[in-house]
Amino acid sequence: MTLDFSVLLRFQEALAVGLWTTIKLTLICVVLGCSLGFLVGLARTSPSIIVRGIASVYVEFFRGTPVLIQLFWIFFCLPLVLGVELSNLASGVIALTLYMGAITSETFRASLKSVGREQLDACIALGLPRHVQVVNVILPQAVLRAVPTLLSNCVSLFKESALVSAVGMADLMFVGQNISNNTARPVEVLTIVALIYFAIAFPLTRAVTLIEGRILKKLAI
Amino acid sequence: MNYTFDFNAVSLGPLIEGLIVTLELTVAANLIGVILGFPLALLLMSRIAVIRWPATLFVEFFRCTPAIVQIVWFFYCVPMLFNVFLGSMTMGILALGLNLMAFNAEAYRAAIQAVPREQVDAGIALGLNPFQRVFYIVLPNALRASIPVLLTNGIVIFQQSALVAIVAVQDLMYQAKTLATETYRPIETFTIAALIYFAVSFPVTQVVGWLERRRQVLTS
Repeated sequence: MTLDFSVLLRFQEALAVGLWTTIKLTLICVVLGCSLGFLVGLARTSPSIIVRGIASVYVEFFRGTPVLIQLFWIFFCLPLVLGVELSNLASGVIALTLYMGAITSETFRASLKSVGREQLDACIALGLPRHVQVVNVILPQAVLRAVPTLLSNCVSLFKESALVSAVGMADLMFVGQNISNNTARPVEVLTIVALIYFAIAFPLTRAVTLIEGRILKKLAI
Repeated sequence: MNYTFDFNAVSLGPLIEGLIVTLELTVAANLIGVILGFPLALLLMSRIAVIRWPATLFVEFFRCTPAIVQIVWFFYCVPMLFNVFLGSMTMGILALGLNLMAFNAEAYRAAIQAVPREQVDAGIALGLNPFQRVFYIVLPNALRASIPVLLTNGIVIFQQSALVAIVAVQDLMYQAKTLATETYRPIETFTIAALIYFAVSFPVTQVVGWLERRRQVLTS
């Protein structure tokens, strides 16, 4: 068969709109998801067994089921349960935020744990008040250590966001599939779509490796 | 909310059939990923650039594009490009298997690099040849170290296998979708399907956690 990538020139704009939807969705969910993840990460270290239990069930459930089924559940069931109409974007944001919250909470939890017990002992020895211990000693170290993993979480989210095409949201994948169905040129269109995803995700994963190296060196851990 | 739940409307039969297909996909993809991931990891670490680059490109491509794009690409483009027409199940296995192979190769590579240099030096001092050093020193160490990551990757593929429902492989997700439309009971159907997925993957993640904790105790 002959490949003809020029068909794509006609659809530049449509692809750009799709890509913008994907990026918008990813950015919104990164912000909301990281905030949720931080709170849940803290909740999982809470002394109260009820708070800890709820947080653990949430995280384990969202990490233990396919994102696709979570999306379907939120798209088709949540409106029934709540009795309100949800727009496509709202459902997509809710689903991916919950997913992102679950995976980043694990990242935050691990980084909080990685701050050595000695640091806290040192704080006590220096007689620092509790809020200074948390804000000036534990938090900066925990966040710094979480950065590379958080970035790879963002890349995962970016990739998972392609799933919203399955429930009819017009993201890059959805637009790509539409074009490929209409032009009967799946090879060219889908390859380009894959390359666009790659062009965004690959530099980010490189950045993760780079930051990991830098931070590891700087903190000497 | 004025919705009455009726979990009896959901027949478990098709869901169980779907689960079996999902498990078949998972096991087959894992066989490909676990076995072929290791040689791929060796290629990734090759000193010869011509060997290393294609392997790196393969791995990075699978790691940096959405799995759904890979699966759709595979189903539409492989038959057109290479003129091969395989059953949808075989295609699903191949797509998931190649994806897992890329992720496992990274896991193996990290584990191989974590084998302490002194062990290899000791091998040289004992007069083992390069093949013996890889086979008796590096391989057992690396395999043991990579088990938790391999298991995690395996369970991720179990979850990702739900994507083949989009290209009409009749797995658990597909059966759930069909059942939800037939019975008009999406809440009950999707909840049960989600619980089935959870029931399979949760025990495995617990085992991974236990293995990691044990390893930390052993190495510290």
